[in-house]
Amino acid sequence: MRPGGSDPHTLAGAYAMDAVPEPDRSRFERHLARCESCRQEVRGLREATAALAAATAIQPPAALRDTVLRAAGQTRQLPPAVAAASAAWAPPRHRRRPGWRPRLAVALAGALAAVAVAAGVVTFGMQGRLDQAQHRDHMVAAVLSASDATMMNRPVSTGGTATVVMSHRERALVFTAADLRVLPAGESYELWLIGPAGTRSAGMIDGSGHGRMVGPMVVSGLAAGDSVGMTVEPDSGSPRPTSPPLVLIGLR
Amino acid sequence: MTEGQRKPPGGSSGRRADAAGGHAGSGPGADQLSALLSRVARGDQDAYAAVYDRTAGQVLGLVLSIVRDPAQSEEVTQEVLLDVWRSASRFDAGLGSAAAWVMTLAHRRAVDRVRSEQKAAEREMRVASSAVAYDEVAEAVEARLDRERVRRCLGSLTELQRESVTLAYYGGYTYREVAGLLGVAIGTVKTRMRDGLIRLRDCLGGDP
Repeated sequence: MRPGGSDPHTLAGAYAMDAVPEPDRSRFERHLARCESCRQEVRGLREATAALAAATAIQPPAALRDTVLRAAGQTRQLPPAVAAASAAWAPPRHRRRPGWRPRLAVALAGALAAVAVAAGVVTFGMQGRLDQAQHRDHMVAAVLSASDATMMNRPVSTGGTATVVMSHRERALVFTAADLRVLPAGESYELWLIGPAGTRSAGMIDGSGHGRMVGPMVVSGLAAGDSVGMTVEPDSGSPRPTSPPLVLIGLR
Repeated sequence: MTEGQRKPPGGSSGRRADAAGGHAGSGPGADQLSALLSRVARGDQDAYAAVYDRTAGQVLGLVLSIVRDPAQSEEVTQEVLLDVWRSASRFDAGLGSAAAWVMTLAHRRAVDRVRSEQKAAEREMRVASSAVAYDEVAEAVEARLDRERVRRCLGSLTELQRESVTLAYYGGYTYREVAGLLGVAIGTVKTRMRDGLIRLRDCLGGDP
């Protein structure tokens, strides 16, 4: 341990009690993201604090029950978190965007939950990717909750369905696909933006063909008149599509 | 102190004796709470009512010990319980017990409330004038801290560990504020908080 208690480990106790203000808090959370044993310790300490909480229990006023149950009946629930790998159960600290698009949220919730499980495994295995994954999850949430979000489903010519949710306001889209044909080793699905601004690779689709769902992928930097397309390419990707798209979705 | 001492309906014995899931997430009550939460995540309002009955007393008790003002505490409690409804799908049993999840939400919300800007100024003055805070927090909590095991385990901590944990958890103070209140180095407070919680965890888990 370095002198002065600057070893980040020592903050685990204070952190479990919400006693770490910014900017120390963010710094410690970055440390947590890289330190599985620290996450376990924080979880264990939180169990202890839950017992502290239980010890102060009192009888709440009867009217509170009615108020809360009624309010719940009128409150939309959040879909499962995409960030299954978050270090601790941090409740959402940011203001929620108003007006989740109900149908989009419901339609994608299942898909995202399935992906989150897979992503969680990968992310825990490769800690360096955690920040990246969290960034992606924020982007996904931003697009899905955008007030102008629209969803498009198209069949993929070789099997399966591609789903795009796009937001002009966010200038981004979220791409997922289900039941794609499993590709032979060495090949992957690649996503493209195709339009007057040119044809640009939007990235390789992770885990192509493994499991029922692929994505969600966030594609940003949309230009007017773009379509999003998907082709089969070598694992390493191609500078240009080498075959016609298996699915092409115009972005209106 | 008059704050935080509102008599619950039903008189002074109105503390919840059932408070299922209360003991650090062990035992069948905790499993039930976890199962209820997964039903809540699917929009089951009956399950939510059951979750309310198991957690509302604990949430209110904790919030009250931090926020102190009864009306504000009730508001925060409502927010917390609605959070539980809204974000039940985010509960991951692999990351801890359902009770700990709910109480983490509650603690975070309560702390956010007292650290809102206006309060912060007021509290800074209290930290500067020091001294009273620990007794104040400890007294308010002591009055309601009726879980014998928790009391005993808290009693097994060193004085500095116990004061640090009490001020941070029940008082909602940051570790820097706690250091100021207790007049000890920041590094010392950090380690006492951690060691204190570890000892508490081992005491609570080891001897049910």
